[in-house]
Amino acid sequence: MKKSNTDENKHNKNMDENMALKTGDLSVGYDGKALIRDIALNVKPGKIVALIGPNGAGKSTVLKTVAGHLKPVYGEVYLSGKSLSKMNSSEISSEMAVMMTERFNAEYATCFDVVSIGRYRFTSVLGRLDEKDVEAIDSALKFVGAYELKRKTFDRLSDGQKQRVLLARAIAQETGSLVLDEPTGFLDISHKLEFMDNLKRLVREKNIAVLLSIHEPELVKKLADLVVCIKKDGEIDRIDTPENVFKGDYIKTLFDVRSESFDEVYGFLNRGENKSETDTEGKDICKSNLDPASKTKFLMVQGTMSGAGKSLLVAGLCRVLKQDGYKVSPFKSQNMALNSYVTEDGLEMGRAQVMQAEAAGIKPSVYMNPILLKPNSDVGSQVIVNGKVLGNMKAREYFKYKKSLVPEILHAVDKLKEEFDIVIIEGAGSPAEINLKENDIVNMGMAALVDAPVLLVGDIDRGGVFAQLLGTLELLEEDEKARVKGLVVNKFRGDKSILDPGIEMLENMGKVPVAGVVPYMRLSLEDEDSLTERFEKKKKAEININVIRLPHISNFTDFDVFEQVENVALNYITKPEDLEWADLCIIPGTKNTIGDMKWLKESGFEAAIMKYVSSDKPLIGICGGYQILGSKILDPENVEGGGSIDGLSLLPLSTRLGNKKHRELVSGKIKGAGGIFSGLSGKEYSGYEIHMGDTDIGGLGDNEISDPGEVTEFTDRLSGYCRGNIYGTYVHGFFDEKDIVTEILKALSKEKGIDFTGERIVAHKDLKEREYDRLADTLREYMDMELVYDLLGIGNRKLEIRKDDKNR
Amino acid sequence: MKLRRTLVFSVLIILIFILVLINFSVGSVDIKGSDILKLLLNRDTTSVRGAVLINIRIPRVIEAMLLGGCLALSGYLLQAFFANPIAGPFVLGISSGAKLVVACLMVMGSEFGFGISSGMMVSASFVGALLATGFVIAAAGKVKNMSVLIVCGIMIGYIASAVTEVLVTFADDYNIVNLHNWSLGTFSSSSWQEIKIVVIITILGVFTSLFLSKQIEAYLFGENYAKSVGMNVRVFRICLILVSSFLSATVTAFAGPVSFVGIAVPHVIRRLLKTSKQRSIIMGAFLGGAVVCLFCDLLARALFAPMELSISTVTAVFGAPVVIGMMLNKKRA
Repeated sequence: MKKSNTDENKHNKNMDENMALKTGDLSVGYDGKALIRDIALNVKPGKIVALIGPNGAGKSTVLKTVAGHLKPVYGEVYLSGKSLSKMNSSEISSEMAVMMTERFNAEYATCFDVVSIGRYRFTSVLGRLDEKDVEAIDSALKFVGAYELKRKTFDRLSDGQKQRVLLARAIAQETGSLVLDEPTGFLDISHKLEFMDNLKRLVREKNIAVLLSIHEPELVKKLADLVVCIKKDGEIDRIDTPENVFKGDYIKTLFDVRSESFDEVYGFLNRGENKSETDTEGKDICKSNLDPASKTKFLMVQGTMSGAGKSLLVAGLCRVLKQDGYKVSPFKSQNMALNSYVTEDGLEMGRAQVMQAEAAGIKPSVYMNPILLKPNSDVGSQVIVNGKVLGNMKAREYFKYKKSLVPEILHAVDKLKEEFDIVIIEGAGSPAEINLKENDIVNMGMAALVDAPVLLVGDIDRGGVFAQLLGTLELLEEDEKARVKGLVVNKFRGDKSILDPGIEMLENMGKVPVAGVVPYMRLSLEDEDSLTERFEKKKKAEININVIRLPHISNFTDFDVFEQVENVALNYITKPEDLEWADLCIIPGTKNTIGDMKWLKESGFEAAIMKYVSSDKPLIGICGGYQILGSKILDPENVEGGGSIDGLSLLPLSTRLGNKKHRELVSGKIKGAGGIFSGLSGKEYSGYEIHMGDTDIGGLGDNEISDPGEVTEFTDRLSGYCRGNIYGTYVHGFFDEKDIVTEILKALSKEKGIDFTGERIVAHKDLKEREYDRLADTLREYMDMELVYDLLGIGNRKLEIRKDDKNR
Repeated sequence: MKLRRTLVFSVLIILIFILVLINFSVGSVDIKGSDILKLLLNRDTTSVRGAVLINIRIPRVIEAMLLGGCLALSGYLLQAFFANPIAGPFVLGISSGAKLVVACLMVMGSEFGFGISSGMMVSASFVGALLATGFVIAAAGKVKNMSVLIVCGIMIGYIASAVTEVLVTFADDYNIVNLHNWSLGTFSSSSWQEIKIVVIITILGVFTSLFLSKQIEAYLFGENYAKSVGMNVRVFRICLILVSSFLSATVTAFAGPVSFVGIAVPHVIRRLLKTSKQRSIIMGAFLGGAVVCLFCDLLARALFAPMELSISTVTAVFGAPVVIGMMLNKKRA
């Protein structure tokens, strides 16, 4: 921003005494190293100045320095014209109150007690509060609407209430300036807005100068008088009014600079420019089973949050419609998941849509998920469009590319239209991320693109379902709100009659019918990504299959099949000592072989694995885990950041990572298995390979392995080797075949000397079929399917077919 | 809130009263309640009973009461300082540090033949306490993890104890007995001379703590908040650590290291009072410490009379379970 800033000059004319909070040539940072230089802020009484910028830009560092918690590297902070460094703490406290993000243990302190801390500078040595103090505390509490909480224990409050009380504490300090660090960070949307209102009222009524940092650009727009934009590299890029900052593309470029999370990406995709294409393209191309006049119907499922159960609901709806005789396809414009699936064409797509396609009884196609983002925390992120890897992109690069993706999405939709009667679209996250929704293409933007009615799903299991649903509706624009045709309360447990009055009120207040209250279901289906409960549970059974939970674990659904056998426990372990009670150890696939190998060494797993192996227990490595079993992993092409690392050297193999991605469906016979699982020889497997790089026997070049030893080919076409009880293969889905799983469990049972109880193992596919039907039955029972059909615009005429279906 | 506070304080004071009386009357010579008053009024030190009561029991009871209070208070101040409920003079090695320096002093006294006054004991103990505290604070600066800090404290305690043992091994025979008894912790050596010093120190300690109460209240919300409301955090921290070291040093000098009172009592008091008002907690902790030490000393004296247990043996039996319960509770919360 420099001093040349026009706005700044304007202010300079009538400043000084008038300035409650001011900085001069301030440089802030740690240990004498400046992160941000030349900060010249002027905060006038009655004004709000907001620092915005991506996480890690250094907003907090600036605020800490202004608040006096950090020494400036250079320059000075002025409070009412006095230099901060020359003031003692009690003088500072009479000028400036702060509200930081740090949490404290308030133990038994009541809200009154917490706010009373703000009176510190007014009270006597013994800290006795006089009438004036009590009055000030009460009025501060009243101001933020927390007076009724006065006697409540602070620690027991909700985050929203806590922030209110902390603001009251700052008010009670009766200062001219107020500094707040991410005051809305912990809050949900409605509390964010409430907090903003309080703050604005405070500034207006008490003429306080406020400096705050905030992460949500959208809130800034409504709140701040002046916006300070800090770029990722810590440069103050601009100081301007919110109107100007939010004009054009500036905010995008500001946040472009950093790949904070791809959630933000969703928001920045521009739908406006490409909207016309929908209108001109893709009309009446479809061949429909329905009335010739009608075209493909769309229905979109959006959630109030990620994990609300959208994916399964879409799968269930697909199955219901399939049972009723429709050709139905799932769709999600952009997916973010660690796991991917390889289609028959060798193309990559999100697993959630694969699962939904299975439910719909169709073959998965990349058109169901045109954009797939695989976050890779170390390198950036892999962007996959229509099944093909575009490469590891930093967010910056992705943003440049993104506009060209909108036609790809429309193209994918058109392809689906050609084939299907109905497309059920899944949203991502919440449609009410008010900072991001402007250019949305995954939620309401997507719905608008194809003019789909929307079902909004709330998760009652996590609590606050009414607030979720009503709050989300509240935050939508009118036209978006009009799209929401039904609400769904998902994951309900217990007695529905208790819920009924709430449902009625929900319908009255939201003016949207409730399409169903769906009970909590435990299904043995694949999860989209690692946000699942499975990693947390740990139980011991007669046979323990312990999978090492690598930090970059991928495609972990490989092992689900083991979960159905009663005396077998499938555990994801993170501590080396948990290997001690494993009967079978599996090293799973990873998105970052070298990184995870390092982790194995550092976490002590390497030593634990050696000990485990020396007791002759079996160890299986899949894909990345297979690479790890080898002696050497080389990365000459910088696929994973370069370098090389020694593997576990349990198999005499070395891996050279490369930019070319192997990606194919494979099947074959197990060639020669030795050791405990010798019974596997000759068994058929099928699955898919997906990996960067090749693995060969022996060393590579000058990295000759001293003792290759003998090794047996395990899976076909050099895709896996084994030695003794160590098995490695590139084949994902290796455990999907019933015979293989049965054989493995038999062998393990024999080792342990217990009876084998897994005779009734259901092949993974059949198991899943059963689960989809169960899901569909549940939806039929608890959801208003007539409403769903109405929304699709096809009445309920297929319900008759369903009756016949029932006889099956 | 008010009611709760009144109730807790009343109960504590009544308990002190009862325990003082029992302490007066129970022992190798039983003295009836009615006789106590008579003996006191007559200042009768000629009879055996009078001598026992006035010269032995009363100083011991006063000392147990005051030192117990100081110990609990010192523990509470340390907990406030480290923002950690399981900090305490014994756990952090402060008592053991004091013990070490006092042991040195004792051995030197016998070696070079000088007498050791109470003042010297307190000073030596204070030096030891500050040294140990210094180590712990240095460790706290390095590690933010509270359990690691506690482990550091325990290790410092062990090192100090080990060195003390070495001293004991090479000390002259008759010193050993003395030193050994003392290093286990006991109120048995109390005398009227000591009481004067103990009373003065107690009054000083309690009053300074009360004057720190407002700042402790603010400090509970974290250093940055405390600073922002106008507190001089540096000065406060120094005061706090000096007062608490001084208190635990006094206790150690007179009664040896006494375990667990410093952790368990403040914890129980906080649970009972359910308040963040530091004045109440400070007073409560002091009274609670007095009650516990009176009770434990009674047991130490009376349980296997005429044999005497060390005070730490008894306080550990009652204190350790409280600490364990506390940590389990913490896990759940």
